Amino acid sequence: MSRKIERLINLTIALLATKRYLTKSEIFRTVEGYEGSAETKERMFERDKDDLRSLGISIDVGSFDPLFNDEAGYRIKSEIYQLNLGEITPTEISLLSLAADAWQGAAFADATQSAILKLSSIGVPADPIDIPGLSPKLSNSSKDLETITGAIGTSDFLIFDYLSTNLLTEERTIVPIALSNKAGLWYVSGVDHDVQEVRTFRLDRVIGSITVKKNKDAFEFPSEFELDQIDSTSTTSSAIIDVRKGKGHALRALATSLKDLGEWDQIRVPILSIEYLTAQILWHGEDVFVHEPSELRENIVEQLQALLINHE
Amino acid sequence: MSKNVSAPLLRTARLLDLVPYLNTHQGIALKELANHFEVTPTQLSADLMTLWMCGLPGYTPLELMDLEFESGYVTIRNASTLSKPRTITFQEGVALLLGLDLVASSLPEDRLDLFATVESLKERLAKLLDVPVKLSVVAATSGAVSTTISEAVQSHTGLQIRYHSLYKDQVSDRSVMPVDLYESDNHQYMRAYCFTANDYREFRIDRIETAAPSPVPADFVVQKIDAEKITFSITGKQPSRDVAERFAISDMPTGEEIHLSSYSRQWIERSVMASGGAVVLNSPVDIRVEVAKKAQLMLKRYKEA
Repeated sequence: MSRKIERLINLTIALLATKRYLTKSEIFRTVEGYEGSAETKERMFERDKDDLRSLGISIDVGSFDPLFNDEAGYRIKSEIYQLNLGEITPTEISLLSLAADAWQGAAFADATQSAILKLSSIGVPADPIDIPGLSPKLSNSSKDLETITGAIGTSDFLIFDYLSTNLLTEERTIVPIALSNKAGLWYVSGVDHDVQEVRTFRLDRVIGSITVKKNKDAFEFPSEFELDQIDSTSTTSSAIIDVRKGKGHALRALATSLKDLGEWDQIRVPILSIEYLTAQILWHGEDVFVHEPSELRENIVEQLQALLINHE
Repeated sequence: MSKNVSAPLLRTARLLDLVPYLNTHQGIALKELANHFEVTPTQLSADLMTLWMCGLPGYTPLELMDLEFESGYVTIRNASTLSKPRTITFQEGVALLLGLDLVASSLPEDRLDLFATVESLKERLAKLLDVPVKLSVVAATSGAVSTTISEAVQSHTGLQIRYHSLYKDQVSDRSVMPVDLYESDNHQYMRAYCFTANDYREFRIDRIETAAPSPVPADFVVQKIDAEKITFSITGKQPSRDVAERFAISDMPTGEEIHLSSYSRQWIERSVMASGGAVVLNSPVDIRVEVAKKAQLMLKRYKEA
């Protein structure tokens, strides 16, 4: 086994050190470890290339003399092989370590540890940040994070079953473009294959596992997409709601403006979804009263009538 | 990475990473080096022996790497080709970007210097990854609050907190003695003895609006009162994801009675109200009556207006 490891290291060194493309025959002649028949060497080399690529080492294929020789040549560009984050400061090393530690025991724990190992080789000592208790952690609610980020990188399709608002299971196919975590919940955003629009999905509503399908078409990243769209602030319509003083804190937190009415305050709340806002308002009972829009009022009255009939 | 990579490949990766590390840590103790790479000293010695055999084509002593073990200390020479660390992979970069985002949103607001540093790191990492990937993490709690709380837990000091109770729809000031922090259902909680309630309470950290260290009575009396759970039953009228998530049930077959329990009357009442026509509360009867009364009063107000 260590023969193979030696060969892989020697191949990496040879391909890194060369200033021009090395042909296969040059590699077989000079790099130690290629032995046996032509066919055996060929097979060894193909496997070695795949192995290095799976370690994240990209091998450049080209022709070193396009005019006279069309035999393919290989090299590893050092500017691509080497870590280049520019000048790194001790404070930056500390922040990167905190970022890595955030994954402790979670999805990317291995990946961040190997990244930190590489960073430690730069030889810049960490300068501890003097904020006591600063060790934020990312909750790992999904085993699928690696699948998702992988597909973001390759623009491949993700196919999964999603729990719809009426508790039905729907199959969704998206090209993922973003991953986010808000208040401990993970969200994936992507271009929905059926509607060709960006949709956002909560990962804990995904049923079963996510499968990846190769996307052979060219994918154009929706340029106008911003993660803020997931936020409620970008909606245009809003509701005008009276909230009793000292009450309705959850609704107050959403308010974009507030008017003092004495015993009550009048607030304006952006409408992300009528259903969601209706539930929020009903939760607060008599401490909240809706003025506008009529669509929201009608929905609330309808729910109240159902509540009354169901509980009389 | 390690999950999809075989053992010989992992070892290859380690050997490639050993060279730049040795380059910046010349004369490191073998034991320390083994610790850093999380392998046994024996395994590490074997790794170094293998590296010794590697070098540039030609493989004469001039082209081979020159490793020196001297009484347990390691130095490396003639390894310029591999002297710089390998670049980070896409997964590693994405993980660091997400982690940095969380760190940024957990920093105290006045550390503008650190915010700027995080931003610069994120930009450089994103450039390295070279895809228009969008990633974001927003910490559920403000940096200042979580810092104060973890300090108090560590140093066993009391806290004055302003807490937003969602069930009671009340913001209250409480004097507490934190016991520990734990995570459940993706939320962070603080277990504490609350001097205002004279009992142990659990506080969701993202609902703590402010927190400040404050002294507590030196010998406070701990009276443990066991709260009793209220059992209740609901029947689903129409399937709704929101309702299922609110009551933490995986399925709600229409017309079937579901038995549940909760510590809070208010929570039961409010959850049923918020579910509108999707759910009927069968028992307890007093809460059921209360729901009907509330609905009637609210309807009256909407009809008058």
